[in-house]
Amino acid sequence: MTAGGHERRWAIVILAALALLALLPLTAPRDDVLNFVFLILLAITLAESWNIVAGYAGQVNLGHAAFFGLGALVTRMLWTEGAPVLLAMAAGAGTATLFALVIGVAAFRLRGAYFAIGTLALGEILRTTVGNVLPEISTLPAATIASYRLTQRFYLALGLAAVSVLAVAALATSRLGLGMRAIREDEEAAESSGVGALSLKLTALALSTALAGLAGGLFAYYHISYYPSHPFGPHWTFDALLMTFIGGVGTLQGPVLGAILYIVLKEYLALRWVDIHLLIFGALFVGIVLLLPGGLVQAAERARGVLGGARRAA
Amino acid sequence: MLEIDGLQAGYGDVRALFGVTLSVGAGEIVALLGPNGAGKSTLLNCVAGLVRPRSGAIRWDGQDLRTLGAHLIVERGVALVPEGRRLFGGMTVQENLELGAFASRAWGGRRAGLERVYTLFPVLAERRRTAVQALSGGQQQMVAVGRALMASPRLLMLDEPSLGLAPRLVAAILEALVAINRAGVTVFLVEQNVPAALSLAHRGYLLEGGRIVGEGSGASLMADEHVRRAYLGPLAVRTPSPQGEHQ
Amino acid sequence: MSVLAQQLLLGLLIGGLYGLAAAGLSLVFGVMRVLNVAHGELIMLGGYGAFWLAALFGVDPFASLVLVIPGSLLLGALLYWGLFGFVVRAHEETRIKNSLLIGFGLALALHALAVRLWTADERSIPTSYGGAVLSVGELSIPLVRLATLTLALVLIGALQLLLSRWRWGKAIRATAEDWQAALLTGIDIRRAYLLAFALGTALAGAAGTLVTVAYSVSPSIGLEWTLKALIVVVLAGLGSMLGTFVGGLVLGLAEAASAATFGGPYREIVGLVIFVVVLAVRPRGLFGR
Repeated sequence: MTAGGHERRWAIVILAALALLALLPLTAPRDDVLNFVFLILLAITLAESWNIVAGYAGQVNLGHAAFFGLGALVTRMLWTEGAPVLLAMAAGAGTATLFALVIGVAAFRLRGAYFAIGTLALGEILRTTVGNVLPEISTLPAATIASYRLTQRFYLALGLAAVSVLAVAALATSRLGLGMRAIREDEEAAESSGVGALSLKLTALALSTALAGLAGGLFAYYHISYYPSHPFGPHWTFDALLMTFIGGVGTLQGPVLGAILYIVLKEYLALRWVDIHLLIFGALFVGIVLLLPGGLVQAAERARGVLGGARRAA
Repeated sequence: MLEIDGLQAGYGDVRALFGVTLSVGAGEIVALLGPNGAGKSTLLNCVAGLVRPRSGAIRWDGQDLRTLGAHLIVERGVALVPEGRRLFGGMTVQENLELGAFASRAWGGRRAGLERVYTLFPVLAERRRTAVQALSGGQQQMVAVGRALMASPRLLMLDEPSLGLAPRLVAAILEALVAINRAGVTVFLVEQNVPAALSLAHRGYLLEGGRIVGEGSGASLMADEHVRRAYLGPLAVRTPSPQGEHQ
Repeated sequence: MSVLAQQLLLGLLIGGLYGLAAAGLSLVFGVMRVLNVAHGELIMLGGYGAFWLAALFGVDPFASLVLVIPGSLLLGALLYWGLFGFVVRAHEETRIKNSLLIGFGLALALHALAVRLWTADERSIPTSYGGAVLSVGELSIPLVRLATLTLALVLIGALQLLLSRWRWGKAIRATAEDWQAALLTGIDIRRAYLLAFALGTALAGAAGTLVTVAYSVSPSIGLEWTLKALIVVVLAGLGSMLGTFVGGLVLGLAEAASAATFGGPYREIVGLVIFVVVLAVRPRGLFGR
């Protein structure tokens, strides 16, 4: 079985599951259920978008929240000024991507951990600046609140999650994705075999930040009131990182699994203990980095291997 | 005494040694000769514990060194002057030398050790407070040899001690090695400068492509047709007198 | 004019703590090539250590250093044995990246733990001498902050002495310069790593105590202090602890100048901008000597 076949199969499974979810507003139109699934869908989009740069191009981007935040900022501004929400989201994603390309040229000169801390600093600069320039909470006008429909947000989130899964699946099976994996394994060897590392990394970053910008736009469309600097907060990056690594970085299905597990556990635990999920996930994450770099996906494969071996032996 | 038996080693997928067997007896000076990439450094690094062998045995006084950490091998009295010297450039000459005596077996005797090294290389005594990176190449090589001596080794291994040095300095280093050997230290030497190495070695081994392809006394190797053609080149037509050249 | 001078003075006073915070990070990175992004959380824990000692047993916060420093040493040793000791087996680039990820997970967990134990509230340690001020001309120098600056300098000097005089201090420096050569001189480099990490954690704990005495502590200060320490390390380079201390003072002054020029909310940005600019100019020699 080729890697591509593997990813194609998972893409079909995930998309089929998402298609089933489309029936949810018709069969169980409870707001709390829809809100919960919405959070999972947003998390899937965020995790898959982060996964593109980390999993395929091998760069840990700790400034991902900046692009999520920019998407949210631009979308919210245009949409509240009367632009159609899809157009506003496209503009938000475009802004995020443009910003990514500008800083990407400089940031990708940095290797490994230096890229990580450099992007972290950039994200913090943006967050602080936005917090300083726009200190007031952003609340939707009364008329908009009156016409607020949760199902619209839900379907938008569903569509976006599907788009991000499709994008990663397409990337994983393409020549582009192959080149990115070559960079991840050995950048110098990849360069010497004719893979243009910088342009590939920039492509990965552009795709990743466009999706993050769209996710930010969805956030702006969904929430009634929030501080404009909130979507720039580093926890958005950290969430994406945790979900992706716990699920399995560099795979299609890993971030989806990670996102579901993360949101379910977070919401469940939050009922009793605020923030305790971070203690659990922080510890889980450390364990995964040390013992199981492929996350849950790798754990499942190992389990299957052990079971298969046992069956063969029997 | 050092016994290496059927040693296989490599880095990642690249094999460097294919079953090397040799021995270095107590009190000897043994030279290991061979072209670049033959696996000479890998062999010394295996003995010193920097590279883990795939298979084969390395015994020092009957004890297996393969499973010992590199720092514990120093404690057993085996010291290596590594390729490229690998000094602590930001630290002074004296600090480098003192660190050479870090092993517990040597720490107590570090004052006496310093005296010995400064007697052997008086120029280092003058520059004891100088940062090593400010020294000339020859002086740095003296620090490297001196640092290894500070561990008061019974076996001193040297990886290309003459590399990049002017002939006069090569002679000085080699002279020092003879003096060290006379004081009872076994010397195991990897050298590109074949005439120089064979002029002082009691015995030598030829390592090519990760295998031992020849061995013999210094003089017999010097006379060997293959050695002359492969290592001594056209210049070796006029046979240098083994003792005369570097004195 | 005197307002500006007063602001710069306060910047200088906090800068000493930036230097102390960075010294631990610099030691660990320089020796182990391990980037511990949970360094700020270790500072935070040191702060709560002092807070607890004061709240539960009435220990004077400065005196609590006598307990916090050994406690942090022990914590550092445990963290090395349990976590960071596993990364040092990998090659340099993988090592830095994995340590970053582990530190990150640790940071999240410690933050959540601190919220559990001490709530998310900001805490400080009230003392009878907390309000004492030394007036020099138009400047007023808060005595507690002056004391923290002095102690930071003393601790850094003590570290420098340890590294240059103590047998294992020299071993730590040798390991930082060339770990393979260190092995060849008979140094057990795992032990040097352990000592460096424990010392780095002890410095973090001490910094946390001083931060809590002079300012305050809350579970969320970790990221901010990690960033400050990173900025100072980038500014000062590796190798000299006194250089790191001076780097901290420079950051403190730069922040104060920026706050005075652009307004208080922009205090945080100047350091980050310096950081990003240095990264852009020296992408490889970032932590060069």
